[in-house]
Amino acid sequence: MTITLDRRKFLQRIYQVVLAAGAAPLLSFEELLAAEANPSSVGWSRPDLVWLQGASCSGCSTSFLNVEQITILDFLTYFSRVLYHPNLSSATGTQVPQILNKLAAANKPYILILEGAIPVAMPHACMMAHKPISEWVNLLAAKASACIAVGTCAASGGVAKMAGTLTGAASLDDFLKQRGIKTPTVNLPACPMHPEHLVYTLLHFIKSKGLPDLDDARRPRQFFTHSVHERCPRYPAFQARDFALRIGEEGCLLELGCQGPVTYNDCVASGYNGNTNNCVRAGHPCIGCAGELFPRARLYHTHDDPAPAPGVIVKRS
Amino acid sequence: MTATKITVDPLTRVEGHLKFETRIENGVVASARTSGMLFRGIEKALIGYDPRTALQLTQRVCGVCPYAHAEAAALALENAMGIRPNANGQLLRNLIVGAYQVQDCLFHFYQLSALDFIDVTAVLEYRGADPGLTAMRDWVRAETRSQRIFPAAPFLPRYKGDFLKDREANLSAVHNYLESFTVMASLHKMVALFGGKSPHPVAIEAGGVTTRPTINNLAQYRTLLNQVERFVHSCYREDILAVAKAFPGYFKEGRGYGNFLSFPYFPDSSGKNHLFAGGATIVGRHTALDLNAITEDHTYSYYKNKSGAVKPLGANRLEPLDWQEFQREEQLPDGKYSWSRAPRYGGKVMETGAAARVVNTYHSGRNPALNRLVDQLNRDLGIGLKDYNSVLGRHLSRYITVSLLLKRLKEQVEQVQPGVLGFSEKEMPRNVKGIGITEASRGALGHWVEIDNKGLIKNYEMVMPTTWNMGPRDATGQPGAVEQMLIGTRIADPANPLELARIVRSADPCIACSVH
Ligand code: SF4
Ligand code: SF4
Repeated sequence: MTITLDRRKFLQRIYQVVLAAGAAPLLSFEELLAAEANPSSVGWSRPDLVWLQGASCSGCSTSFLNVEQITILDFLTYFSRVLYHPNLSSATGTQVPQILNKLAAANKPYILILEGAIPVAMPHACMMAHKPISEWVNLLAAKASACIAVGTCAASGGVAKMAGTLTGAASLDDFLKQRGIKTPTVNLPACPMHPEHLVYTLLHFIKSKGLPDLDDARRPRQFFTHSVHERCPRYPAFQARDFALRIGEEGCLLELGCQGPVTYNDCVASGYNGNTNNCVRAGHPCIGCAGELFPRARLYHTHDDPAPAPGVIVKRS
Repeated sequence: MTATKITVDPLTRVEGHLKFETRIENGVVASARTSGMLFRGIEKALIGYDPRTALQLTQRVCGVCPYAHAEAAALALENAMGIRPNANGQLLRNLIVGAYQVQDCLFHFYQLSALDFIDVTAVLEYRGADPGLTAMRDWVRAETRSQRIFPAAPFLPRYKGDFLKDREANLSAVHNYLESFTVMASLHKMVALFGGKSPHPVAIEAGGVTTRPTINNLAQYRTLLNQVERFVHSCYREDILAVAKAFPGYFKEGRGYGNFLSFPYFPDSSGKNHLFAGGATIVGRHTALDLNAITEDHTYSYYKNKSGAVKPLGANRLEPLDWQEFQREEQLPDGKYSWSRAPRYGGKVMETGAAARVVNTYHSGRNPALNRLVDQLNRDLGIGLKDYNSVLGRHLSRYITVSLLLKRLKEQVEQVQPGVLGFSEKEMPRNVKGIGITEASRGALGHWVEIDNKGLIKNYEMVMPTTWNMGPRDATGQPGAVEQMLIGTRIADPANPLELARIVRSADPCIACSVH
């Protein structure tokens, strides 16, 4: 029957996303087919998700829509249920606090995804439904099965916490620590987050009912074990001490301020936008967007700048 | 006379934390307040940083239109340095920002606005074999039958209202809604080919673009561009026209002041001769752009003191209210109510965005192709240029932008010389100022930079499209552009103010941008 064929085609496309996320070891295509026929046979359950934006630019949400092969909605409706997302939800106005309050009271498992940092020193710097976002995060994180911090702002503060800002922005982990909330977290830094990192984390949750293997900074080891530098196509040039002194030259970009040696992320190996490109391939030094010290006061400099070595923070005058 | 208040907080499917309040008298909006509810303070935090960080960091002001900030910052620095990119540098920058602008217009129509007009529940009656639609139908069916607390989220709940009635048009729009995700991902790939990645393309720098064009990446760009073109000329065009024909009243709803501001946008390889002309249309008269006429006011914004009209770079500190002061203002009947400031042009409130771009270019007569397209659409839809000051006028203007941009991108990708670097380097100057102006998808965007005697940022100012549109009242009490659009709107059901949501979304607000 054509419908069955189409269904199979549809599942094949879904499986492409599993492959792209590096999650094939978690879930084989046969298991996916079996889950389709009888979800309970493989312990399949779609987690409920609620997505909040703190002090953010929505870049991670936009990045998430870039998942390859299928529409992200296919993925979301198939592998999880999005109870609330600020850019996708039809619910608006008073419907939103109703959903969030009901969810917090329902005593059912769900995952909280946080994009953006939490302004702690100025709670009024991010308000939603007449309440500081810190109170919404507090309410929902305390009851969640797990929290996922997507992007550098949520994982370590990012631009929301850059030197000179006044809002006292905190990362999700720091905020939960301050409030004494013990819900387990996963950090997916990078500015913006790689969509595959979130897909992998969610699949892990579906399959093993738990979190992937995490490092000390609570990042999945799968993606954050190697520095950008270690896998960089320009690494042989680095070893040969062959440095580019200008944009457009061959050679390692260290002299132009590359943050690759101090930045952990898999973007050189798997790229962005379905591996279309990445920063160093585009001839630009890594600006360290997945690093805890992002953004530094100097992200790129020219060879004759009277500049400090990369990684040194320029004093603010 | 009965008066009610409608507060919508948050308004979803816009960028960021937006709240608005209206006072309704006899079913009609008598007054309105729009509030940006997020403050990060990135603009003034840039002081003391290397000026080149502005290209990367101002992008992070907005993850939906980062490309426009990269471009505006690059132009401001180039203005300060006294340089222009070479032909390849300009063309590659155009290939990045043009693809991104198209992505953003599709994102706005399908993801942010379409669900206000099309009826997703029509998918329940789908009988065909399209895998996306059948999957969606089965899913909605299972969801609505389940005992879940929020069945069919994120599509339900929604405001009740008068959605598109035609079953086929609904199904086709739902199909295209799903399809548009893939098309947008392709457009992001086009951005990444020369920008490095998307969102937040890294390769735009003062002096050009760091990616070297090759026969290979140009060919990839062309292939993706062809796919996008097919979608835009069939699906997007059909959907926008279906909505325009089904809701003709929305060419009258959401009228603002009718004052339009836009900046010159999308140059040829010399950096001159723009596809869209800049300027200001005030009471139907088009005048040349005068950047000196721009001021910002924060009388009703959550900053200490009243400011009056301040020119860009006129203040190097903005002191936000503390928590107690914030709460006090919230209680006052005429207190401060937004993190957004209120930009004015010669004291006037201006609308920026796609409609401003189209109306100003039309009046300037600088682009005959735009005038032909506008005239033809006007004939088909039975509207005139004055109707672009409306909810549907804004949506239609985005289609016009996309259609013209795609054509120009096709021409410009052929003009790039493979192998030639589009980047030249220049030392950072000292004690200078620079201005960079462009059009983000949401409208006129300007960056102002001042560099000190050590070559570091002394002051930085960004005046954003959404600040123009969503800004609050000013010292003289004039309502902001969207506030004016809301006034006079008849509300059928105060519990489901779909009319208001449609008006606010038509202006495509981006709160992260406007408040930075
Ligand atoms: S370009 Fe950067 S990441 Fe690559 S080898 Fe050099 S320092 Fe390492
Ligand atoms: S190369 Fe560096 S700046 Fe680019 S995405 Fe990776 S971590 Fe971020």
